[in-house]
Amino acid sequence: MNLEALIPEYVRSFQAYLPSRPDHLLQEEYGVPLLHRLNNNENPLGPPPAAARVIAAFAPERAAVYPSGDSYDLRQALGSRFGVSPDRFLVGNGSCEVISSVIKAFCQPGDNIVTADKTFAVYEWVAEFSGIEARLAPLRDYAFDPQAMLDRIDGRTKILFVCNPNNPTGSYWTRQVLVDFLEKVGDNRIVVVDEAYREYVEDPEFPDAIELMERFPNVVAFRTFSKMYALAGLRSGYLAGTDAVVDVVRRTSVVYSVNVQAQQAALAALADDREHIAATRALVREAKTFLRGVCDYLALETVGGEGNYLMIQTPINDMLMYRRLMKRGMMVRSMTGFRYPGWIRVTLREMAVMELFAEALRKEIQAIRLTNKGMK
Amino acid sequence: MTQQASKQQSILTRLPFSMAFLPLAMEFADKGARGFGYGDREAGGLVLAVEELFSFYVRQAAGGSTVAIEMEDQSYRLALSISFRLANPDMRAFNLTWRVNPDSDESLDMLGPMIAARSVSSLRLDFGADERVALRLTRDRDYAPAGAVALPPPAAAAALHLADPSPDDLHHFAAMAVASGSPFLPPFLARPGMAADMLAAGHLDALLLLNGDWIVGGLLWRPLTDSCLELYGPYLFNEDAEDHALRLLLDEAVSRISRSRSRGLVRRQGPLAGHERFFDFLGELRLTGINGAAANATYYYRQLREESGGVVYCAGRLAAFLGEQYDRLCLPRQVRATSSGPTRLRDASALAVELEHPRSLAVIRPLCAGKDMAANLTAHLELLRGEGISNFIVEINTGRSEDVAFATALEETGFVPRLLIPDAGLGDLVIYDHCGPGVQP
Repeated sequence: MNLEALIPEYVRSFQAYLPSRPDHLLQEEYGVPLLHRLNNNENPLGPPPAAARVIAAFAPERAAVYPSGDSYDLRQALGSRFGVSPDRFLVGNGSCEVISSVIKAFCQPGDNIVTADKTFAVYEWVAEFSGIEARLAPLRDYAFDPQAMLDRIDGRTKILFVCNPNNPTGSYWTRQVLVDFLEKVGDNRIVVVDEAYREYVEDPEFPDAIELMERFPNVVAFRTFSKMYALAGLRSGYLAGTDAVVDVVRRTSVVYSVNVQAQQAALAALADDREHIAATRALVREAKTFLRGVCDYLALETVGGEGNYLMIQTPINDMLMYRRLMKRGMMVRSMTGFRYPGWIRVTLREMAVMELFAEALRKEIQAIRLTNKGMK
Repeated sequence: MTQQASKQQSILTRLPFSMAFLPLAMEFADKGARGFGYGDREAGGLVLAVEELFSFYVRQAAGGSTVAIEMEDQSYRLALSISFRLANPDMRAFNLTWRVNPDSDESLDMLGPMIAARSVSSLRLDFGADERVALRLTRDRDYAPAGAVALPPPAAAAALHLADPSPDDLHHFAAMAVASGSPFLPPFLARPGMAADMLAAGHLDALLLLNGDWIVGGLLWRPLTDSCLELYGPYLFNEDAEDHALRLLLDEAVSRISRSRSRGLVRRQGPLAGHERFFDFLGELRLTGINGAAANATYYYRQLREESGGVVYCAGRLAAFLGEQYDRLCLPRQVRATSSGPTRLRDASALAVELEHPRSLAVIRPLCAGKDMAANLTAHLELLRGEGISNFIVEINTGRSEDVAFATALEETGFVPRLLIPDAGLGDLVIYDHCGPGVQP
């Protein structure tokens, strides 16, 4: 069988993403009894209490029955929550699935998408392995650069992806910046505003993409239950758009992809999030202040805005720093894959873990500086 | 980053594997090379290699078998592969040390592959499944050496910016690198036309640093193995007191490479000030140049993907060396001890040798293991010393049992494991050097 002949060129040249190995194997390989996860921006508080109860009470016999194919009840709840029709939501198996649906719905080979070079990689990946060109605008001062994105638009540009706040830098566009951008883009292209971390933002100037859809019908908002709502293990995210846009995207979406437990837990989480969000924000605030202080003390540069993560510049290459910290039971995200060589991203967690991380970081930095001094 | 290879041209023929078709095979190589625009020297080398290899192996082939010959024009070189099915191919003749004994018919028969190996730029053997053997040859196009060019005047670093070079830009940059007298010029950079053609063919990537209209620096990278890239440079033609230019070039290059299919990036030139920010230090090889001066090679490495672990089976000194290196580099590998070498070995081992005369360096790589491994290594050392070579490196891949089988023989013949390049092949690449004639490691 000539497998090569069957593979489209854009798939042949694409490198599959290899996720981290399971924690138990990593612990064995690095020789650590415990691994603290500071790599995936998970919420250590776990889901809101009502969602936790739904998960705990899940009846095994429910596993034998297909879920609602289009997350009917969850969409009703989202409609009530945001004051728009339930038909303007599409729920997916994590927001990565809805990224794929949107690109498939609007793009064909020869078209392009525009996004930033240093942001969540999945927009670029899905475009590339679908045969769609990804045009990348450099960040400016660690933030999406509206003009650089506008400069990359041409007649074949179908979608612009804005990660707001941006992962991994935490920068964000205010409402005014986003509105100005939307006015310049015009209404012939889709503008996706990925708000995966919006619940962490406390600035009243932070825009609400769902609200902006009334004025700009080409806006599509992405949100997720994986981050603030701590349901990452169940995989559930959604998009919101106008009726017309959602009607098109629905054609390229897979039904029944969101399991019944994820739908139920997300539904419960939505109804019980006020105190959970407040507690999570307080935790992140405290951890961010603490970790910034540690990095200042160690003379390490940091970059961070909103979101439950902080980027730290390392005196050695980030891949080696990742491995050194792994040997101390601390799993961070190396930033080479985000095109930020020499940086790591650290999830902001409860203080007990942050203090352990700070100690591990301090020891590593001290050892590195001693070695470097010795070499000089 | 997706490496975009330009559209290549190739021709393919499949012939009955019998002597009657030798002239057609030679004609294929000759007409193909000339059709792709190569001259007498390049075509002649390939035709000779095809003649010798075809003639040698056709005698061992089973009746009724076929041979496939494919030639690809990669613009800066011709790549030719000869593949066929053959049980127990005799690879002895690929050893540089194979000597013809005029009294032995068998020995005379073996002369052909030796001539073939020496008439091309590179020769590699691949053993596939189902008893398939592929001989892969390349013959570089002949290029003129670099002409004289001016180097940039000293200038403030504030106006520096990066640029993607066109082949013409790279041609000029290569000539500047030669003019700057850099001691670490790869052969393709010493021939600017070759660097430009490699860039156009998608076999080389580069990034230039400009100050106004002047090229003031640059760096290049290309695949070292299927899973590893090699970085050349940065070459800087002006002072870079605060490493500003260095950082600009390396940060951008690593960012571009970071989403490629490669798992690692290696740099094997001289020491790089401030390397810690970009690379892991792997070690240094002490080399002696033709004039007796030291020309050490410093090895740096950077992973491009988060580590995924692995297992290596080996014994003795190699196991101890790997354990130390994995620990120093924080690489999660399990070294599992094996009590003995492979139980089934061919009679004869085979080694490939790559010679770099300007550095008086021989890089030796195992092709296949055999019962005579120590004797074969010793014979290679003697021959190469006789030809004036003073530096010897052996590369073995921990992912290939045929390579790891050489570990004991290497120790017995005075080779010492010096450094390790992670993820540089099927597994990690261990670099041995030799402690000198008569010196015990």
